[in-house]
Amino acid sequence: MLRYLTRRLGQAILVVAGVVILTFVIMRLVPGDPAVAYAGPRASPAELAAARARFGLDDSLPVQLWNYVRDLLGGDWGTSLHTRRPVRDDLFQAFPASLELVGAALVVAIVVGIPLGVAAARYKGKFPDLSIRVSSMLAVSVPVFWLALALQTLFASGLGWFPVAGEYDANLDQTSPLHVYTNITAVDALFTGNWPILGSTLAHLVLPALVIAAYPAGVIAQMTRAALIEESSRDHARLERALGFGETSVLTRFALRPALNPVLSLIALVFAYSIVNGFLVEAVFNWPGLGRYAADSIRSLDTPAIAGVTLLVAILYVVANLAVDLVQGVIDPRVRSR
Amino acid sequence: MRWHKRLLAAGAVAVVALTSACGGGKVRGAEDSPQAGTSQSAADATFTYVPNLDVVTDWDPASSYSNEIIAMENVYESLTRYNPQTKKAEPRLATSWTSSPDGKEWTFTLRPGVQFHTGKPLDAAAAKASIERTIKVGQGAAYIWGAVDTIEAKDATTLVIKLKYPTALDLVASAGYASYIYDTTAATGDLGKWFNEGHDAGSGPYTIDSWQKGQETELTLKKFDGYWGGWSGQHYSKIAFRVTPELTTAWQLLQRGEVSFVQRLNSQLFQQASGTANVQTSQTPSFQNLLALFNTESGPLKDVRLRQAIQKSIDYDGLVAALKGAGVQASGLVPDGLLGFTPGQAPKQDLPGAEALLKEAGYGPGGKPLDLTLTYAQGDSDQEVLVTLLTSALDKLNVKLTAKPLQWTTQWDQGKSKDTAKRQDIFVMYWYPDYADAYSWFVNVFRSADPISFNLSYMKNDAIDKEIDSLPELTAIDKPGAEKAYADLQSKIIGEQAAVAVPYVQNYQRAFAKSVQGYADNPAYPNVVFVYDLKPGA
Repeated sequence: MLRYLTRRLGQAILVVAGVVILTFVIMRLVPGDPAVAYAGPRASPAELAAARARFGLDDSLPVQLWNYVRDLLGGDWGTSLHTRRPVRDDLFQAFPASLELVGAALVVAIVVGIPLGVAAARYKGKFPDLSIRVSSMLAVSVPVFWLALALQTLFASGLGWFPVAGEYDANLDQTSPLHVYTNITAVDALFTGNWPILGSTLAHLVLPALVIAAYPAGVIAQMTRAALIEESSRDHARLERALGFGETSVLTRFALRPALNPVLSLIALVFAYSIVNGFLVEAVFNWPGLGRYAADSIRSLDTPAIAGVTLLVAILYVVANLAVDLVQGVIDPRVRSR
Repeated sequence: MRWHKRLLAAGAVAVVALTSACGGGKVRGAEDSPQAGTSQSAADATFTYVPNLDVVTDWDPASSYSNEIIAMENVYESLTRYNPQTKKAEPRLATSWTSSPDGKEWTFTLRPGVQFHTGKPLDAAAAKASIERTIKVGQGAAYIWGAVDTIEAKDATTLVIKLKYPTALDLVASAGYASYIYDTTAATGDLGKWFNEGHDAGSGPYTIDSWQKGQETELTLKKFDGYWGGWSGQHYSKIAFRVTPELTTAWQLLQRGEVSFVQRLNSQLFQQASGTANVQTSQTPSFQNLLALFNTESGPLKDVRLRQAIQKSIDYDGLVAALKGAGVQASGLVPDGLLGFTPGQAPKQDLPGAEALLKEAGYGPGGKPLDLTLTYAQGDSDQEVLVTLLTSALDKLNVKLTAKPLQWTTQWDQGKSKDTAKRQDIFVMYWYPDYADAYSWFVNVFRSADPISFNLSYMKNDAIDKEIDSLPELTAIDKPGAEKAYADLQSKIIGEQAAVAVPYVQNYQRAFAKSVQGYADNPAYPNVVFVYDLKPGA
């Protein structure tokens, strides 16, 4: 197991190193002077020269790459050209908000997706199965941006059931200031007993979390259905049926647990995907997460910030993949020898 | 514990540990906010402003030169404030001012009894220190003080500024950037660092309450009790800046009454806002116009006849109609509301005239094909309309226009390229002045420059340069003379040289809650709402 773990960790480090180099090269290949993004659209030649000197933009590419990697290893992700703050600080602030949103979405996706998958497997080939398959196909294929706008217009602006945008009612900052420990507002509000902010955050979470949950819920439902159908055709299921267990019992008491292993692996990967998929949703619902930061960075050609977001997302993917590999290694020893 | 439970527990611990490192036990919200559970006073009226971009990049009043103007103008004050109706500077921190006959010495009388938010008095010595620090920092728009030779605080309320060359200093002092008067003694250490931690040292009606970079409500300002204007009568006591990049979301927030003012909507949403019961709208021509700068130095447009043909090909009326209120017809280079504006000069499309000029140069229908390149701002839908109309008009004249949408950094870099072959034939960009003086267009965009900065028509003309250099003095001491010089220069640059076409002047289209009373856009301060001047209604 240790050898397997070391091998997988080594591969993960190689992937991250590749992303770092690729990101850096692409950053430098993009036409335009990054110094303008820092010094402003009307910067004088002297101000541009000062910005170039400050960020070492006049050095040769290998020197710049070396400095970039050295700084990264030292925990310095560079300075954002549009916020003028350390990229690491910006990401530390934005990432927890995205984590909160995607976390809530995944809870919804699991709670909805797995029972739907079970129901579809239970009524395989019948109307419930067909309708669940069509619904999950729709959930997977509908563009999140469109879904976000549609739900916002209908349930927030039209019916007024939910807030239009934001993470929580900002007026509460005046009446119920929040003590921030994790930067995940709902968690901080829960642990500090700040009920007004907790209530407001949960209300604000509903619509964006539902939108982000659409894709993983659809995928989880389909995967659960497929895994259950496969599992329920095995010998043990036939034995269970022979012993008098009903179809629902066979599925939920005996087939579900082994069928959930691939679903769990899928959830890890879908988590990383949803972080990126949520960028547009964050923009529509004004959620102060990575999406807004990434959009602002792209708009202002803020190369250090773009590189920071790319690297963070790459790390998330690598960690998710690593977790899946390790889980599979634990479950199935044959995987370790591959 | 089974493997997946252990994994789940480990994951949860990792997430909490990671995000705890991000938070660190800070309090989100105002420093002096009441404790949880207490309620706000009913008299606290909050004006909620919705910008599309982050509010603050730089809090230092010396170097601030970005979107934060929308907050800074409510926190800091300058000596004067520009009035676009009278085209003159009006009293702000200075109650009156005089200039010597040669325009090289200006004496400002300061308002007595004004206090900084730090509690220290704002007197002539403080104003002198403030302007001197801004000049010394030398960043952002600090160049506006370039004419200043010496500053003297004669007594507590008399500030004398001597200049190296004549300039309309009352206009300079009204600038939206770099003209702020602030307490230079506010911090003992590095003042710039102190500002950028989210502190202010202004004298305006509002002071910083809380600043949370990256949050939806990035900034809140609260009233400064010691403001010289007083707080009798109805005023907003707080301002909240709620950053909303998505225009549809901004509109929905306004529609539901959750915000007071939306900085920008697209034409479609603006039309919708105009017919909505609880919303009011305003439309004001800005000081920002679109310039199509022609390459006068190299490429086919070196031939003035071709430049004139392009000018005549633009469908100015069609463009303004397609913009649906987002732009108005330009008349010359200088927008209305500034000294130098020349009415009655609105250009018209003249395709037969364009064809004749092209034919004369050997191009046009039946002649040699002409290929031109144009660069414009990526994502700017108004510029896209211009490009579409121009491409279509030129196509009929056997001119192929290749338009490239680019980010500003790329577009500008290409335009400044030392290799003339890499430059475009037409460079499309907006221009606006840093203070209410039309000189900005002429000195930055049309005066000879080496290396190229904003002179992206690459025009080099000594006679025009000389006339441009005379503008500051004329503006300071001879306004009718300045008007004449501006008119003459515009005739030469647009007419004789055909270095530029001005397709339209941008309109500010604002939508705000019906309850907001007394709002008027001041184009000298782009996107600024002077909230103290407003009355909160029911």
